[in-house]
Parts: sequence; C-alpha cells; structure tokens
Amino acid sequence: MKKKKGKKKFQTNSMSKLSLFQKSEMRMGRTCPLSKKDAPIIDYKNIKLLKRYISEFDKILPTKITSVSQNKQRKLSNEIKKARTLGLI
Amino acid sequence: MNFYEQTIIAKQDLSKNQFDKVLQKYEKLINESEGKVLKTENWGLLNFSRKISKYNKGYYIHLKFQGKPTTIESIKKNANIDKEIIRYLIVRYKELDLKTEYFSKIKN
Repeated sequence: MKKKKGKKKFQTNSMSKLSLFQKSEMRMGRTCPLSKKDAPIIDYKNIKLLKRYISEFDKILPTKITSVSQNKQRKLSNEIKKARTLGLI
Repeated sequence: MNFYEQTIIAKQDLSKNQFDKVLQKYEKLINESEGKVLKTENWGLLNFSRKISKYNKGYYIHLKFQGKPTTIESIKKNANIDKEIIRYLIVRYKELDLKTEYFSKIKN
C-alpha cells in the first residue's frame, strides 16, 4: 500500500501538462528546432521555412505550438513581416 | 562600408526594353554613388499572395551590393518617384552569402 501512495504523489506533481491526454515528455521536453547544429537559415527569401510557421489565415503561430526559442521567434516574426511587404507570403 | 540587399518589384505590363532600362538604371545609381554591385538576380514573373495596388503579378529584381548610407539616400529618392516600380525593400547585413539562391528554379 505504501508503494501505491508514492506513485500517486508523482502523478500529482506533474501539473505542467498542457492537456490531460498528452504525455508530459512529448511536449515539455522538446527543444527548439531552429537552434540545432544544421538548422536552416531564417531569411525572408526562404519561403518554404516561413510557411511552416504560419496558420491558415496567414497569422504567425505562437511558441506554445511550435516550441521555437524566444530569440529565434523574434527573428522569425521580423522576417515574415519583410516577406509580407514584398507579397511573397 | 556596409552590405545591403535590395529587391524591386517592377510592373507586369512592361516591355523587355523598359524592363532592362529599370535594371540598368539602379545598377548605375549604385556604382556612381560610392557603391559597388556584387551580384544581380532576376527572379522573373511571380504571383503576389494578394493584390498590391491593383496588380496580381510583378517582375522581381534582386541586387546585392556594397555601399555607404549616401548611396541608399539616392536610391530612395529615385525609387519613390519612379512610376515603373510598385514596391522596393532594402535590408542591411553584416555579411552576405552569395552562393545560395532561393529562386533559382524560376529563373529562365
């Protein structure tokens, strides 16, 4: 019985889950995909990359969904705005 | 000296002679005002994602050059008046990479 109590405490501690049906390791442990070693260059000409971080209605996706780091997200949003003025996106 | 990139959108209904004049005009402007053109790219006709001043398509010109802030003043003066251009954008870089071309497939 003592062992079961210990397990229950461990489950209640993981309150940082985003939803009930998600495994905590999947979402919270993810690192930034743009700050790896061979990461693609963020540039306003690289449309293929920028279109991955845009919603159906041409809005910029938040870091909660994409898990991009804070520094790279600022660069992304600046480059997306440059591409918008040229009519590429 | 700083490194810059300039992209120009010319109007769709230009003839070939008019289009070549636009390219030569801006290359001259840079070279005469203490600058130097390193590379020119011609992206060709591209579709806009939405209408820009009643146009659906446009010719794209891309220039990579070296220059001083006085060169950019002379470009902006001419580009704002120019009737053959819809829009333009100038970006400053610390280093330019001349190898990668993102629009190489469209180039004829």
